[in-house]
Amino acid sequence: MAAASKTSAGLFSTGHTVLRLVAGLAAIAVAWQASVLLFGIRPYYLPKLSVVLDAIASTPAAYAASVARTAAETLLGYVTGAAFGVLLGSVFFHHKVLKDTLFPMFVVSQTIPVIAFGAVVVLWFGNTLFAKAVMAFYLTFFPVTVNTLLGLQSVDPAQEALMKSFGAPHRQLFWKLQFPNALPQIFVALRLATSLSLVGAMVGEWFGDTTGLGVLLLQATYNENVVGIWAALLVASALGTLFYASVAGIERKVVFWRAEQ
Amino acid sequence: MLQKERPSATAGDPAKPILELRNVNKTFGSVAALHDFRASVALGEFVTVVGPSGCGKSTLFNIVAGLEEPDTGGILRFESRSVHASDLLGRVSFMPQRDLLFSWRTVIDNAILALEVEGVPRKKARAEALGLLPEFGLSGFADHYPHQLSGGMRQRVALMRTFLFKRELMLLDEPFGALDALTRAMMQRWLLDVWQKNRRTILFITHDVDEAIFLGDRVLVMTARPGGVKLEQRVDLPRPRSPDIVTSPAFIEIKRALLAAIEEESMKSFAAANFREYAQ
Ligand SMILES: Nc1ncnc2c1ncn2[C@@H]1O[C@H](COP(=O)(O)OP(=O)(O)OP(=O)(O)O)[C@@H](O)[C@H]1O
Ligand SMILES: [Mg+2]
Repeated sequence: MAAASKTSAGLFSTGHTVLRLVAGLAAIAVAWQASVLLFGIRPYYLPKLSVVLDAIASTPAAYAASVARTAAETLLGYVTGAAFGVLLGSVFFHHKVLKDTLFPMFVVSQTIPVIAFGAVVVLWFGNTLFAKAVMAFYLTFFPVTVNTLLGLQSVDPAQEALMKSFGAPHRQLFWKLQFPNALPQIFVALRLATSLSLVGAMVGEWFGDTTGLGVLLLQATYNENVVGIWAALLVASALGTLFYASVAGIERKVVFWRAEQ
Repeated sequence: MLQKERPSATAGDPAKPILELRNVNKTFGSVAALHDFRASVALGEFVTVVGPSGCGKSTLFNIVAGLEEPDTGGILRFESRSVHASDLLGRVSFMPQRDLLFSWRTVIDNAILALEVEGVPRKKARAEALGLLPEFGLSGFADHYPHQLSGGMRQRVALMRTFLFKRELMLLDEPFGALDALTRAMMQRWLLDVWQKNRRTILFITHDVDEAIFLGDRVLVMTARPGGVKLEQRVDLPRPRSPDIVTSPAFIEIKRALLAAIEEESMKSFAAANFREYAQ
């Protein structure tokens, strides 16, 4: 009974969010189209939304292929980066010495601009899907590592004491208390990493490739194809939004207790 | 929950102490929480502990639960063997002052936490806990999450979790502190009932003198911090005890003695607090 009411409440709130999202998008679309028409903005600065949509509709195969390619790169990097981040955060949590020696290096690694790093990655891995996934990985794992560590450290000491009083060994302390307790924090990073990994993959494509949203963007820029730029931008943000929403949806299912408190 | 057959003497057998503490001290930095604490708890006995706030009651429980090591030099004996506090981890059933329920676990899964730690298969543990729900006033709430419960219900889930961790000695730190007077009276009678049937040894902290007398075979009054034993009061009221026993002359006489001792200690801790304020 409780489970049923919980699910329906979850669905209801999910439905609500989707509805709000659609309404928001519609408002932006109307504002875009209307302001171009009303203020007579020159297409060079902002083409009409309808023109941009037409451009996409006229060569759907190219856009579909680009989305598929970029999504694959992003997803591959994101999933492995997230897994690695959770693992690394857990290792740091258990081995303080390792954390104290390695963690500063990871911080430094994140100060390297992704563009500079991209050049090296392409040198190492060539113009492959894998090279772009590495970029997405690089931008994903760090926030996930940090938040995993923070989440694991944020356990209520009294709850830890309770588990110990039951005679719980370290392994059980981790799986029954520390890890579930860290999940809300981990998901904050996972949501943040959706947009970061997409950026990583698209920037990676700038170092040379033939398909992908980053490629479309770069080509359109070279050709001063304003409509093409906006079309690539639109498709990329749609992909990013969908990605973010999916992770947020999973979050609501997994860490339901946070949302309902 | 019944583990062993035991003679039905009401007070525990003093010749067979399950827990003995002698000269136990505990300091946190410059704060002395316990000083020269001594007590002995017999097998099957129900001992209640009262004392001014901050006198070291929870610290005492943390030591007996194995979570905190007392200062060196003290003597700690459990089941007639000299032990380190840490040896007691996993051997004493401990209910802390807050309910500490895991928000991602349902009522039933919170209740079986200790069983799971012990390696009992989840299904079996759940079946056992389900049977106990009515007794704990939680029927129909098996699949609820902690945030869907009232404070009193949360406390009962915590109590159930403690009971399902079947150890001879149970430490209950103000288990009924968060309950309203009515539920509280009900839970007291219920606890006595369960205890009478199962005969486990209970150490029970409370702020309520009536509760301490009504439940206990013996009441320990603690001194103001650093906590020691100010007074040990036997409660020779017959069992089973009915709720109206609180108006009997014997009860009132015990209460008078306890109140006098507590009053004295409360004044001391109050004066100490005031003194610190003036000194600043
Ligand atoms: N881990 C700790 N570190 C430092 N000081 C502590 C620690 N635990 C307890 N204390 C101090 O020891 C003293 C006794 O605390 P304790 O929690 O045992 O009191 P209590 O009798 O349970 O109080 P209450 O009735 O309010 O629950 C307090 O002054 C407290 O500040
Ligand atoms: Mg306390």
